[in-house]
Amino acid sequence: MKFRNASVVALAAAAALTMTACSGTSDGTSAGGAESKSFEFWSFTGIDQKATVDDYKKKKPDVTVKLTEVGSSVETAQALTTALAGGKVPDLVLIQGDDMPKFVQQPQNFVDLRSLGADTMKGDYLDWVMSQSTAKDGSIIGIPTDVGGMAVAYRTDLFEAAGLPTDRDKVSELWPTWDAFIETGKKYTAKTGKAFTDNAATSVFFQAVNQVSEKYYDPSGNPVYATNPQVRTAFDYGIKAAQAGITAKQSSFTDGWSAAMKKGDFAVVAAPSWMLGSIRSNAPDTKGKWDLATIPGGSGNWGGSYLAIPKNAQNPKAAWDYISTMQSPAGQLEHFLDSGSLPTTPSVYKDQKLTSLKDPFFSDAPIGTIYTDSLLGLKPFLIGPDSSAIGQEFLNAITNVEQGKGDPAKAFDTAVTNIKTAIGG
Amino acid sequence: MTTISPARSSLPAPSRAGSPRLGLRERLAPYAYIAPFFLIFAVFGLVPLLFTFYVALFDWNPIGDHVFIGFDNFTRLFADGRFWNAVRNTISIWLLSTVPQLLVALVLAHLLNHARLRLAVFFRMSMLVPYITSVAATAIVFAQMFDRDYGLLNWLLGLVGIGPIDFIQSMWGSHALIAVMVVWRWFGYTTLLYLASLQAVPRAIYEAASVDGAGSWKQFLHISIPSLRPVIVFTIVTSTIGGLQIFTEPLLISRATPLTCGAVRQCQTLTLFLFEQGFGQFRFGYGAAIGVALFVLVVAVATLNYLLSTKIRAEKKP
Amino acid sequence: MTDAGPHTTTHPEQPVRRARTTRRSGERVRWWTYALLLLAVGACLFPLYWMFIVATTDTATATQLPPEILPGGNFFHLAGLVFSTVPFLRSILNSLIVAGAIGVGQAVLCSMAGFAFAKLTFRGRNVLFLVVVLTMTVPTQLSVIPQYMIVSSLGWVDTLQALIVPGLANAFGIFWMRQHLSSSLSDEIMQAARIDGATTWQIFWRIAFPLVRPGAFVLGLLGFVTAWNDFLWPFIVLKSPEMYTAQIAIKALQNSFSIDLGLAMSGSFLATLPLLALFVFVGRRMVAGIMDGAFKG
Repeated sequence: MKFRNASVVALAAAAALTMTACSGTSDGTSAGGAESKSFEFWSFTGIDQKATVDDYKKKKPDVTVKLTEVGSSVETAQALTTALAGGKVPDLVLIQGDDMPKFVQQPQNFVDLRSLGADTMKGDYLDWVMSQSTAKDGSIIGIPTDVGGMAVAYRTDLFEAAGLPTDRDKVSELWPTWDAFIETGKKYTAKTGKAFTDNAATSVFFQAVNQVSEKYYDPSGNPVYATNPQVRTAFDYGIKAAQAGITAKQSSFTDGWSAAMKKGDFAVVAAPSWMLGSIRSNAPDTKGKWDLATIPGGSGNWGGSYLAIPKNAQNPKAAWDYISTMQSPAGQLEHFLDSGSLPTTPSVYKDQKLTSLKDPFFSDAPIGTIYTDSLLGLKPFLIGPDSSAIGQEFLNAITNVEQGKGDPAKAFDTAVTNIKTAIGG
Repeated sequence: MTTISPARSSLPAPSRAGSPRLGLRERLAPYAYIAPFFLIFAVFGLVPLLFTFYVALFDWNPIGDHVFIGFDNFTRLFADGRFWNAVRNTISIWLLSTVPQLLVALVLAHLLNHARLRLAVFFRMSMLVPYITSVAATAIVFAQMFDRDYGLLNWLLGLVGIGPIDFIQSMWGSHALIAVMVVWRWFGYTTLLYLASLQAVPRAIYEAASVDGAGSWKQFLHISIPSLRPVIVFTIVTSTIGGLQIFTEPLLISRATPLTCGAVRQCQTLTLFLFEQGFGQFRFGYGAAIGVALFVLVVAVATLNYLLSTKIRAEKKP
Repeated sequence: MTDAGPHTTTHPEQPVRRARTTRRSGERVRWWTYALLLLAVGACLFPLYWMFIVATTDTATATQLPPEILPGGNFFHLAGLVFSTVPFLRSILNSLIVAGAIGVGQAVLCSMAGFAFAKLTFRGRNVLFLVVVLTMTVPTQLSVIPQYMIVSSLGWVDTLQALIVPGLANAFGIFWMRQHLSSSLSDEIMQAARIDGATTWQIFWRIAFPLVRPGAFVLGLLGFVTAWNDFLWPFIVLKSPEMYTAQIAIKALQNSFSIDLGLAMSGSFLATLPLLALFVFVGRRMVAGIMDGAFKG
């Protein structure tokens, strides 16, 4: 294995020797040696790590944190992989849960956080969340930052105009199930002529499929996406919503989605806890017009992320200090109070600061209890190495039906075929 | 380099500029002048190309193992519907962007090639403005103008009772949108190339035709087009090499699914498929196999181009 | 052809001037010629105008129908956001460094190689020149994966030289400069210089290069524009925001925390502005240069 790399290096080195002459002064920052208290941190957009970093800077004014929002969570994971392959890595990186298994399978690329003291902390976090970042050899490569408890955000003003109840408890009663949710959507659309929710794939399928006890893999790690009836049921809800004509057909986090949200062109969006920040920043003028109801089916988890330290990080200790300070139960509680990302540390779920938190942007909804309640009945499922790719193919299939192009009857089988091709069968 | 060798001045006058009797240093000098190109091309062009063929034989995880698997990547590739989809999209987008571009450029060059045209410089400069605009900026603007719900174009179509058309989510719509961006960016440049060739045609020929009563259209068909043959071949070749590698436009127009350009890969080109597999899924080996396939496609189309163009050239020499 | 005069025949590459001197040639320009040309100009310029419009309004206005077709008052607000969201000034500077180095480097290196191929005799000259021409047909994007591996084993990931050095090789430029040099530098001058004891380098730098400087300038300009607008390679190689080029900064704006169309458009506009400004000054020479380098019949 070494030999193959050596041939590239030899060729390239020969070139480098001849070329450094003309390239002139290249900065020799990699000299290294003295580890500084500063560190470089890659995060993704939509999660507002900046708030946490600011909190940290207040605590440790002598530390410089270079925070980069690389792109979406998927793009960040991609950039991390090229960085790991290319040798220039950040000191700390945020990885979204679905992308985690790929990295957990190659633990040699990361610092085993047990060496920095993760052993003593791991009991603070939800077991099932922690198990997703523990490699086969027992090394811990990530500390969870949040979980994505679920809720539905809705526009009270638009609901009122459509003759629907606006009170969050009454609204929650409108949709105990996904069928009821879709029926409510039909009523709304019939009355107003406008779209009820943003899109079927993320606001229905991605929610429903994260409420299962077993998702794309069984507990021993075998892929079961094609045969698991729970996945099929969630998929069918997605198709049903797509065909009901109640969606704005705007994919999440696109320009059109953002514009439609600003303009009130849909009234409902599925809102895992980390989505709240996105709604606030995308449609600041809608402050106070939103409220939060429970998710159909009651409980579920979508998303949640981990902090990891690449093996070749220049300043692993500084990065670890950030993790241990900000991701302690107290630190996560603080981040929750700032931005709404739900802690992974169950010890704070009963904390009065959490239970009493109300969000004025969402009509003073008690976001602490709404989201923690959604986690209570949760049966954790295993996320596998290709969970992300599998989810994407299902999502694409539903989007295609929503666009009026895919045949709904064949959509599931097509998706399964595509998944087999994509993950190499 | 600045010192003058005294030996040289005593040499008898050379019969040619580059006499073979120069000193060793001067004899090697020509190679120094061309060395930078060959060196850079070797390191960043040739070696990567050869290495692509090598990597294509592996299951190559950039952060994990590299396992030799022979031609398995190619067997998989030829059975992969996504690959054939990307081939079809690439060819479709290439045709949609090349043919109209060359036609528009032909017409405009003919119009611009008028001795008494006013504002000639203004017209020429304006047409080069898209060329200096980046693809990234172009993609953002065009995606907005062609947006389904909030786009300018669909609003205009709506006024006459058409649409709204979801350009990005439909296959033909997305191909057309990408083609429009490519045509927009390049037609001015191509027009200038054609115009330059047209101006080399002696004006007397046009005047004679005019005297004989041939109108603008006839002059265009019988004088302009034949005299443009070589440059048309040249632009076909260059736009083929570029057109088969289209990447940035499809990546940037589909915000929700950039790496596949749409939910059903309706506008995923070969280069984008390569990028998705290589840098999205991190199957470097599979990505490299796509690269090899792309290479074969480009060589095949270029050869076809060459054969066709030599035929065109041989057919009729005015 | 009656009074076109020798001017026309000796300088066919200066068509504008010729148009004025051959007043009697050709029939009158029809109105629809102007109409079609103006349509083309409109098609060229409108997207940029629209970019500016959206860059000056908020999303709600930009997406309203019927659309707003006059600029709004939001430009400085959005421009400020652009500069605070990404290190935009830095990215413009990076683009200037990369594109500038590539432009100058191509102008010099291609002139040198073009000079060697046009005016120097050496073993293998014709074969090597054929190789240069053939490299033009190699699709470069298909080998991005090994290119990335090479750049990363050089330790160049996330550096500007990873963009500059590969960008210096330009086969088309060599071809182009060779044409210029073979037509403008006569063997007699070369010979005279040799007799005076000039080295090859002195001949190139003191005589050949000044002669073809206009051609090299346009070549450098084209290299500059291409490098400024390059996307795929910087997208793969650059990682940290301080290293972003303007194009990657635009992409980052699209991805920023709050998705704002105006913000992305404002960034696009600001990243295009330097080139537009440059174009105002050198556009005429660029047009002439492109036409000059084109095939002639």
